[in-house]
Amino acid sequence: MTRPRTPSARLRTGVPALVVVALLAVILAKGDYRANFFSGGGFALGALVAAIALGVVVTYRGSGVVNLAGAAVAMYAAYVYADLRAHGDLFLPPLPNPLAPIEGLVHLAGDDSFAVPHWPTSVSFGTAMGFWPALVLALVFCALFGLVLHVAVFRPLRHAPVLAKVVASVGVLLFLQAVVVRRFSTTTQVVGPLPFVDKTQVDLGLFKITQEQLFVVCLVLVLAVALWALFGRSRFGLAVRAAAENEKGATVLGFSADRLAAATWVLSTVVTGLLGIFVASVNSAVDPNTMPALIVPAVTAALVGGFTSFGWTTLAAFGLGMQVSLVTFLGANESWFPKAGGLPVPGVDLLVPLVVIVAVLALRGQSLPTRGVLGPGRLPFSPSARPWALRYGGPGLAVVALIPGVFFLSPAMRDGLTNTLTGIVICLSIVVLTGFIGQISLAQTSFAGLSAYTVASLSTHHGWPFPLPILAGAAVAVVAGVLVALPALRVRGVHLAIATLAFAVAVDKVVFANSWINGGFDGATVTTPDLLRSQDTATHEFLGVTIGDGTQPNPLTLVFCLVVVVALGYLVANLRRSLTGRQMLAIRSNERAAAAAGVNVAAVKVLAFGVSAFIAGVGGAVIAYRTGNVTPDKFLYDKSLMFFAFAYLGGIASVTGAVTGGLLVGGGLGFTVLNQVFGLPDEFVLLLGGLGLVVTAVLNPEGVAGKARTDLLALRRRLRPPAPADPPTSTDSATMADSSTPAEPLIPADTATPTTGPTPTVPSAAPTPNAAPTPNAAPTPVASGSAAGSHVSGSAGATPAVAGEAR
Amino acid sequence: MTALLEIDGLYSGYAGVAMVRDLNLTVHAGEIVALLGPNGAGKTTTLLTTSGLNPVMKGDIRVFGRSVRGRPAHRAPREGLAHVLEDRSLFYQLTVAENLRLAAARSRGDLDRALSYFPALEPLLGRRAGLLSGGEQQMLAMARALTSKPRLLMVDEMSLGLAPVIVERLLPVLRRIVDDTGAGVLLVEQHVHLALEVADRAAVLVHGDLVASGTTAEIAGRAAALESTYFGAGARTDDRTDDRTDDPKAAPDAVPDADAEPDLDADPEGSR
Repeated sequence: MTRPRTPSARLRTGVPALVVVALLAVILAKGDYRANFFSGGGFALGALVAAIALGVVVTYRGSGVVNLAGAAVAMYAAYVYADLRAHGDLFLPPLPNPLAPIEGLVHLAGDDSFAVPHWPTSVSFGTAMGFWPALVLALVFCALFGLVLHVAVFRPLRHAPVLAKVVASVGVLLFLQAVVVRRFSTTTQVVGPLPFVDKTQVDLGLFKITQEQLFVVCLVLVLAVALWALFGRSRFGLAVRAAAENEKGATVLGFSADRLAAATWVLSTVVTGLLGIFVASVNSAVDPNTMPALIVPAVTAALVGGFTSFGWTTLAAFGLGMQVSLVTFLGANESWFPKAGGLPVPGVDLLVPLVVIVAVLALRGQSLPTRGVLGPGRLPFSPSARPWALRYGGPGLAVVALIPGVFFLSPAMRDGLTNTLTGIVICLSIVVLTGFIGQISLAQTSFAGLSAYTVASLSTHHGWPFPLPILAGAAVAVVAGVLVALPALRVRGVHLAIATLAFAVAVDKVVFANSWINGGFDGATVTTPDLLRSQDTATHEFLGVTIGDGTQPNPLTLVFCLVVVVALGYLVANLRRSLTGRQMLAIRSNERAAAAAGVNVAAVKVLAFGVSAFIAGVGGAVIAYRTGNVTPDKFLYDKSLMFFAFAYLGGIASVTGAVTGGLLVGGGLGFTVLNQVFGLPDEFVLLLGGLGLVVTAVLNPEGVAGKARTDLLALRRRLRPPAPADPPTSTDSATMADSSTPAEPLIPADTATPTTGPTPTVPSAAPTPNAAPTPNAAPTPVASGSAAGSHVSGSAGATPAVAGEAR
Repeated sequence: MTALLEIDGLYSGYAGVAMVRDLNLTVHAGEIVALLGPNGAGKTTTLLTTSGLNPVMKGDIRVFGRSVRGRPAHRAPREGLAHVLEDRSLFYQLTVAENLRLAAARSRGDLDRALSYFPALEPLLGRRAGLLSGGEQQMLAMARALTSKPRLLMVDEMSLGLAPVIVERLLPVLRRIVDDTGAGVLLVEQHVHLALEVADRAAVLVHGDLVASGTTAEIAGRAAALESTYFGAGARTDDRTDDRTDDPKAAPDAVPDADAEPDLDADPEGSR
């Protein structure tokens, strides 16, 4: 098939190609650049990134999931292998013991000797294992793990919105990391060398590389070719692609979409795990943080390959892996390299994936989705706040939090409540962006962190008085938010999630890890008024009431957080009720339709990013004031992932959902209660959080608040005297599926009317002249009507279930 | 002669509501059975249930003598059941040839023979299915079903979204297929007159109940009664049987919308 190529299309491929060629030419021309780019370590890293990226592409093609836990699987496999080699133990994930609460309650009642049986923590195979048995066993474990991921997590989610899948993969990532940290702590684990290759240098003319590094690189290349052949040439590959696009279509041809997806999950975990094991062996070490973070370059590479091409993905992955050592070299040796406080700016190597992502998306993206491009899938219903909820619910909730928070709660619970309040703020920022307008941002704590550092700097070094730095910090966050919004004008869905994730990871290193900004080891100090300082233990008399009991944290800190939460809660609730809110929901439903109804999609998107970043910025400022010093760990990218996940779980489309999400966040009230009442150790917080995420995402893709709402409605319907049931008037499967989804407000009439005046889309318009039917061509009205939906993409409007799948 | 498909006292529907009630229907080899009825009658539900894509609530369906209850949906297609779904369910990212190859995968079907019924597809083999026009897509859906050499073929609203001109050309192909291969066909179709022309027997469903069945001559002889099922009581009795204006939701669409336009011809350049 030949398609005429437009000049702009030529430009779009030509310019990036030229840039890449020019960069390569410079690198090849200078000897020390070349030596650092084509270094053995760079190749090994590139190989690992490539393997992770290949795994990501395989699962995406097989099940439509962008598996953010892909890199964590590599890390986990390396740990399994290392433990088998070292001790002959196959460690098992510590699953929550269903009997544990009983034990907790008995302990609480005073009988500390009571113990219920516990899960085994590992299976011992005797003594330390040799290479081959350990490798085979670890890979079998990987295969089983892939199968479990499919059966327990992603198969139940196959019709869920993209968001639910992203959340579930984040849950898996957190879970794997938590298990490893729980078992082995965060310190580096030594991994034995591979038996059949060693560190002998091999001279390849242009560069030198050790035997084992060469082996790993060759292995990845072979795997890439094998996968390409499998997907491009074999029937299995064809069937996988078909089933991922249209499950029903594959089923009626006799393929089990389920088994195909399971096979791809197993394939991807085995490929990723294999390379995780080998690269850890080459590096002689593995730790719980380095490998999982490689998901960013890996998804970047997958994006370059369009989540389809194994060749481009591998090439890009090697490039992204190899540039790291070059950039480190440049920072140490070149005078032109950007410096901060005399030292090279850290994390520039992480800006490279971000630049690549933005470039790829800007070149490939479209300001409106093309016909047949599927949206983010069905999102949870976004209820508009009812007047009684605004009038009584909000203040009621605030009082419920305030009175015990100030007077009755123990210090630990008070701390938990304050964490919940700051968590609610971050969740609110996600509600606006994802719940209302359907854009996924995984960088919310980066906005918060930028604001927090601004507050620290202004309040301490420039002497700004108390409330002003909050506004300044929020303003900085807004600027960052609007910057991130610019790519969002051209991309959506998972692609945007990837871009924001790369942004978050880059900000972590470039800003938060920059000692020039972060105040070094102790963190940046925030000058907090005594009244609000969390460490302040003085008691205060207000109207004859004593506040404070002489212990930390200061109850007034809580009051301050509460005031902010209430104010922002009302901001978000009213936003939902406003014209802008309805326009946001219109965009969320269908960008094309919204644009056709006169909504300025770009402007509203930028606004939403601005509002969201503002809320996150205020949240960051509150966190800064509350703790008195800003440390990076509160704002790292994994915190963004966690907040996103908890916001989703709470219910991403409403203020109630944000409040629920705040109750769930790590360190929040929910976990404090578990910790204080049931004696759950702190280390389990992340583990349970990850597991809880997966379970809730699977059972309950609408979030807790959404589920509660549906249950409440169902209950009310049951209590009400039954109305005469209408016989169903339509049985078309498509319309049936439609009507079973929650009625989402499309474009309310009052949204369209003020912006467009007389709407051209009103269906009752008089027959247009060209509608005069030719005698036999009497149009079949319903047929053409529903065909419009099914024809566009086969699944765009007709069957939401399939639409979610094809994505 | 044993029946390829036996539907026996079937109840099926969605969310606990039976859209089809107590349906009995058989399809034998070498015959075309038309399943007619207005929108919402339960025709598509019946086909989906037969394919195992929708659960049986009560009663039974036997495909090639085996009950579909508790059977994974991908089994029957391997034994010779082909279903052209209402939404066609093509794989838009794959080429025409790849779409056909997938169907051949399970039963070593005959790609060339399938194409011989739809010669218009031959020059398009390398094109992605998503780039075909509506008529071409329908031909591909049919060809794909035929590639698997079906013993029982179910076709759901072949005419959906297509210009009547194309429908008139497509439906007679079904007759040829049956005569050539001896397969049985269960056809759901809104173009009642055309369907009755190619079918041997017909059954009429209204609101989930079987109201009439018999040879096409018998059904065609009761044209007035048939029409009243489409329009409800007191309906107009002009001869536009395929124009179902009783559905209030459909009324605004009586104006042909722009989206249907590109489907009017089998233009190889397609509608996008």
